[in-house]
Amino acid sequence: MKATTQELKVTARMQPGIITLSGFLGDDTRPLNEIVADDAATLARLERSAEEIAQRMQYFTDESWNTYLGGVLLDDKYQVETEVYRGKLPCPYVHPGVFRKAITRLTNSANGISVAWTALSIHLIAEHGFFEGRGSAFRLDPEILVKALWD
Amino acid sequence: MILVILKDIAVLAGLSGALALLLVLAQSILNNYGECKININGKRDLTVKGGNNLLASLSDKAVFLPSACGGRGSCGACKCKVFSGGGPLLPTEKPFLSQAEIAAGVRLSCQIKVKTDIAIEIPESVYNIRKYSATISEIIDYTYDIKGITFMLEQGDSIDFKAGQYVQLLTEPYGKVRQRVSRAYSVSSKPEDRDRIQLIIRLVPEGICTTWVHTQLKVGDKVSFTGPYGDFFMRDTAADIIFVAGGSGKAPIKSMLEHLQLVGTSRKMTYFFGARTLRDLYLTQEMKAFEQVFPDFRYEPVLSQPQPTDEWHGKTGYVMPYFKEVLRDPQNTEAYLCGSPGMIDAVTKALLELGLSKDKIYFDSFG
Repeated sequence: MKATTQELKVTARMQPGIITLSGFLGDDTRPLNEIVADDAATLARLERSAEEIAQRMQYFTDESWNTYLGGVLLDDKYQVETEVYRGKLPCPYVHPGVFRKAITRLTNSANGISVAWTALSIHLIAEHGFFEGRGSAFRLDPEILVKALWD
Repeated sequence: MILVILKDIAVLAGLSGALALLLVLAQSILNNYGECKININGKRDLTVKGGNNLLASLSDKAVFLPSACGGRGSCGACKCKVFSGGGPLLPTEKPFLSQAEIAAGVRLSCQIKVKTDIAIEIPESVYNIRKYSATISEIIDYTYDIKGITFMLEQGDSIDFKAGQYVQLLTEPYGKVRQRVSRAYSVSSKPEDRDRIQLIIRLVPEGICTTWVHTQLKVGDKVSFTGPYGDFFMRDTAADIIFVAGGSGKAPIKSMLEHLQLVGTSRKMTYFFGARTLRDLYLTQEMKAFEQVFPDFRYEPVLSQPQPTDEWHGKTGYVMPYFKEVLRDPQNTEAYLCGSPGMIDAVTKALLELGLSKDKIYFDSFG
């Protein structure tokens, strides 16, 4: 698939040092549209949508938002904490809005899987179906993420 | 045959070059807005070269509106009133403006291209904002992820700010970071130290500026910042005070206390500092020392997750349950809060339930 002008612009904004230190693509050499398409195919196989995954992530972030000095145990197996740092980040897909620098860390004690995401990650998944490139600091492998959020 | 091909290539190259030249010429004619005047508050005219956005045009003339996104139209911080010459309201501005603001002519300065004379209104306090050059004179490791950095201004220069306000630190390119960014940090030193400021900066995972501060900066380095910004500052009343902070939120409260130490106060003040474990506490002795300075001051660090090895015998859990121990007249009490939005929300809710007036709860929620 040939990248559109818009995708090239977004890819440029995802490079290290533009919005975050290491960027959003990691060491992934695939074009942006392929990264999104490959993850979309994984989601289809798992019978989950990006929207419901983002909603689930938002639920855990919201539930742990006010437990600012420690974690919260949800549904007897999800240990979740959200840490908020000073500042906000824009989305690399150019549109209005900024996202707090907040990191949610979740451990599912039923399967031992731990994942971490930012407020921006939730938006990127919900609105753009983007789970970040392989090797990026906040890459969320859809398969692992689904296991962490539901199994 | 080869000659024909070469000739065709030469003709094509010539045509492409001519078209490119034409485009450049057209662009320079069409985008040449000449000199434009920006009238500020009906009092001052700035002459700028047209074609740039209003935020950048003002910045070029040393008028600094706050901006958290560097003019990308994604933070909504650079608002100002535009009376004329701003052009129509853009779809990129609408999400950041209330109906009342739109009716009053408030715009995002980064979204307005200066093409003609323009009349705007900005708060008078913005005139006090300027760019400073400074040299790092001290770096202190307060915790494993928090540093205190002192910036000495250039000789003869001075800064005028209120305790609680913030500045925007400008980074330099480093490593893979090719562009400069600016980030906001509260000043932690007292306003009376007019030849320097101290900032308390926590390392943010993947943060461009905080990583630069924590891994690149050393004593003697030259940096620049703009400021002061913000309306989080102490009100000059006689009311009791509850301070609440967490993490690097200690910075503005430290500035306020150091200021009060100089000017003197008899106000009843209690300072709750929330942290997870002992290793997240810092400046504890310095804050405790204020108990000897002020007639009625207590510093109360509260740990939410003290570790067995911490051997912590102080207050535990969240800070909120301890408020009622120190409140004597909720209607005559002010609160100054600095920390994460989660903390601000929880503390504000608790204070309102205890009877504090909403308009007396001042906060900086790590915006």
